[in-house]
Amino acid sequence: MLYFRGCVVREKLPQIEMATCMVLKKAGIDYDIVDGEECCGSFLLRTGFTDDALQVMHKTSQNLKDETILVSCAGCYNTLKNDYKKYLGVELDVIHTSQLFSNLIKQGIIKPKKLPVNVCYHDPCHLGRHCGEYQSPREVLASVANLVPMENEKENSHCCGAGGGVKSAYPELASEIALKRVDDALQAGAELLVTCCPFCVLNLESEKLKVIDLTEFFCLCNSVESLENNISKEDILKKSPNTQKKI
Amino acid sequence: MKRSQLSIMNRSFTKLNERRSTLIYNEDTINLKQRVQKIRKNSVEHLHLLLEKAQENLTANGMEVILAKDAEEARESIYQLIKNEDMIAKSKSNTAGEIQLSEYLESRDVEVLETDLGDRIVQFHTSRPTHPIGPACHLNMEKIAEVVSDKFQREVKAEPRAILETVKKDILEKLSQCKVGITGANSVAAEDGSLLMVHNEGNISLLTMLDLHIVLVGIDKLVPTLEDAMSVVKLETIYATGKTVPAYMNVVSSPSKTADIEQILLKDMYGAKRVVLIFLDNGRSRALEEKEECLWCIGCGACIVNCPVYTTLGPDFGYLRHLGGRGIVLSHFIENDEVCYDSGLYQCTLCGLCTVECPLEIPTNNMLEDLRKESVKKGLYLEKHGEIRENIRKRGSSFKQET
Repeated sequence: MLYFRGCVVREKLPQIEMATCMVLKKAGIDYDIVDGEECCGSFLLRTGFTDDALQVMHKTSQNLKDETILVSCAGCYNTLKNDYKKYLGVELDVIHTSQLFSNLIKQGIIKPKKLPVNVCYHDPCHLGRHCGEYQSPREVLASVANLVPMENEKENSHCCGAGGGVKSAYPELASEIALKRVDDALQAGAELLVTCCPFCVLNLESEKLKVIDLTEFFCLCNSVESLENNISKEDILKKSPNTQKKI
Repeated sequence: MKRSQLSIMNRSFTKLNERRSTLIYNEDTINLKQRVQKIRKNSVEHLHLLLEKAQENLTANGMEVILAKDAEEARESIYQLIKNEDMIAKSKSNTAGEIQLSEYLESRDVEVLETDLGDRIVQFHTSRPTHPIGPACHLNMEKIAEVVSDKFQREVKAEPRAILETVKKDILEKLSQCKVGITGANSVAAEDGSLLMVHNEGNISLLTMLDLHIVLVGIDKLVPTLEDAMSVVKLETIYATGKTVPAYMNVVSSPSKTADIEQILLKDMYGAKRVVLIFLDNGRSRALEEKEECLWCIGCGACIVNCPVYTTLGPDFGYLRHLGGRGIVLSHFIENDEVCYDSGLYQCTLCGLCTVECPLEIPTNNMLEDLRKESVKKGLYLEKHGEIRENIRKRGSSFKQET
């Protein structure tokens, strides 16, 4: 298995990479991290830079053929799975961390521990509406916490506001949209908002509610880290929301 | 758009969502939706053929038909028909909004009497309509009372009945001086040569009784039969208002006529002496070649009610009265890449919710993604996106080198 981290995890949210590697280790899965990993091409495709996208996709596809590719990012997932086929005719065997974890739980390889914390799950557009994956992340979450439904879910999920290059070009618009999404979770009684796209994590972060990536949360709940053997609900909620590297 | 107006608009949208919530998932609606999808897709596919048939049958029924290739031709045709009038009466029409008809007529000293209550209020307030069916949903009652009071120079209570009566009385007085009514049509049946119009207030019925009835309609509104047209407007009503049927559906197939005396055909009984239909192309033929999906639209506005960007920016996200992402797609064909860019081409998050909300499942995010490619080719992209492209070129990552 090849682990393709994606640019946000690689450079802004390395704790997701750490958590992913810990789960893989615990599950006894052999994996490699892509050497000289570059861009998946998603940003370039969404913003109209097709020529650049095709170049970078061609290069990236050379490193990914004939392997099962594990991704942390919903954007990478949609791009590698659908756009590589559409633009390059390359069918890649891609799996999202949420799908892998769901399988590991079903196979009894990881026996999750449940914490009494109310969480809402935000569907990333790339994973949900664009790829139809609504179930796996929910299965994983329901096994480690009280999964509380919120308004506008699954197919009708509201965007976090970051997609399509909006976060970089119109940051205020992106943040305003994100706050509405956070309100949906607060209204549902969430103590924590979990999603499984690093772009969504970065955009949804606010003072109002702690946001965490599914992998990181899953890793914490299962005390994969030996130092955090007896992690409590309070520990998780206290964990600083702004742990990403500043770039 | 002002924050206070946006929050009132969103409150109206929440009410609309609640009203529609069970209706759009019931079996009858789902069946109707599937039927209309077939009708619309088939109609758009055979649009030019339908247009030929419609011209033939509408003319045979006694209507006059004018083809306008763009907004200017449409405005000029209308002006030539009404140039001797001081005032014309009009119903709500997004197609008239598209060609900025009211602004044009006012500039040529023809007063426009909006007869739809919401449109009349927006006309007084001089703001932009925020929903294709509920144009004034960004204004609350207090604000409307203030606008109406200002207009009539007397205090009108912030109470719905008082507002309605004041505006209605004025419209009816003015309407009695009008000889021309301009309306749109929600759907046009090519094989029957009939126009179908939907309204709740009864204003269109009044306009069809004036001497000259001008109907402005985009060529994309064509369907084969009146039964098809009926299905389209029923679905539109459900998605736009949360009701199964509107108060009125008017079918116009000819000027007013009678044959009650020895079967001799006499024109000009109660209704219009002349009905003139203006078919507007305005980029639709181009859209048909390149992105025909954007013509499937039935005008219900479901795409904007839950759009994360529209509910945050309001009508600034869109093109004239073609609101939201699909309006931006249309602006590319009606105008050009520059207007498309300025209408918000890059403000869409491409989330795809509008496709789920749309009864025709128009793939707006895919179309916008495609149009961005063309925009980039013309050098129209955001500086910030250009910087990120450079980062990716230099170091295979969206982000700059860590400092």
